[in-house]
Amino acid sequence: MAQVQNIEKDVRELIADIIEINPDEINPDAHLVEDLGMDSMMALEILAAIEKKYKIRIPEEDLPKITTINRTIELARKYVK
Amino acid sequence: MSSELIASAPTQLDFEQIKQIIPQRFPFFMLDRVIDIEPGVRVVGLKNLTGNEWFYQGHFPKKAITPGAMISEAVAQAGIVFFHTTKPQANVEVTYLLGSIKMRFIEPVWPGDQMRIEVTPIKLTSSAGIFNAKVTVENRVVAKGEFGMTAKHNHAL
Repeated sequence: MAQVQNIEKDVRELIADIIEINPDEINPDAHLVEDLGMDSMMALEILAAIEKKYKIRIPEEDLPKITTINRTIELARKYVK
Repeated sequence: MSSELIASAPTQLDFEQIKQIIPQRFPFFMLDRVIDIEPGVRVVGLKNLTGNEWFYQGHFPKKAITPGAMISEAVAQAGIVFFHTTKPQANVEVTYLLGSIKMRFIEPVWPGDQMRIEVTPIKLTSSAGIFNAKVTVENRVVAKGEFGMTAKHNHAL
């Protein structure tokens, strides 16, 4: 499924769009809060955007896992079949 | 959900009841009535605009047009009603903070118009939500967008 193959690129672009940073400039292991200024509302927006893109549902308990791009990609992979 | 719960929840609110929910007051009160509440699903509010609204004095002196900021305020207040009726917080004072809002204003809203403001959730957590908003006048969409809101218990501020 093309959607699944592109998760890495899609999640990176989606996060970059929400935190308003060029996707090519983000280190995938940079801390989204400490290094890139993400706030809790942006984290929720990222979660909602991933849910919408892949038509999945991610529980609230997983919200704190949105800490870096790579951790968020991992999270998305867990739920996207 | 039990049928008693559904039966006891209000599905409409008048002006005085809205005042018990939202903290805003004149000149920032932007809902006259709530005509539909489905907890967790949607809230629909009404705002009647008269030529006497305070903001028309300056927006604009020669042609009164409702400011997009005030339309956004009406949307945010419908969001507060949504949050309050979906996640009632008994005996706890809550401050609602708008975290983000992205609105598109499609048609001007004039004195004499009645705005119908509909808010539906995109994602809800126990203390925050992201919502879709649609504002119509006589069934024409005049504004639409998305906004995010957090509910903070006052002791946490």
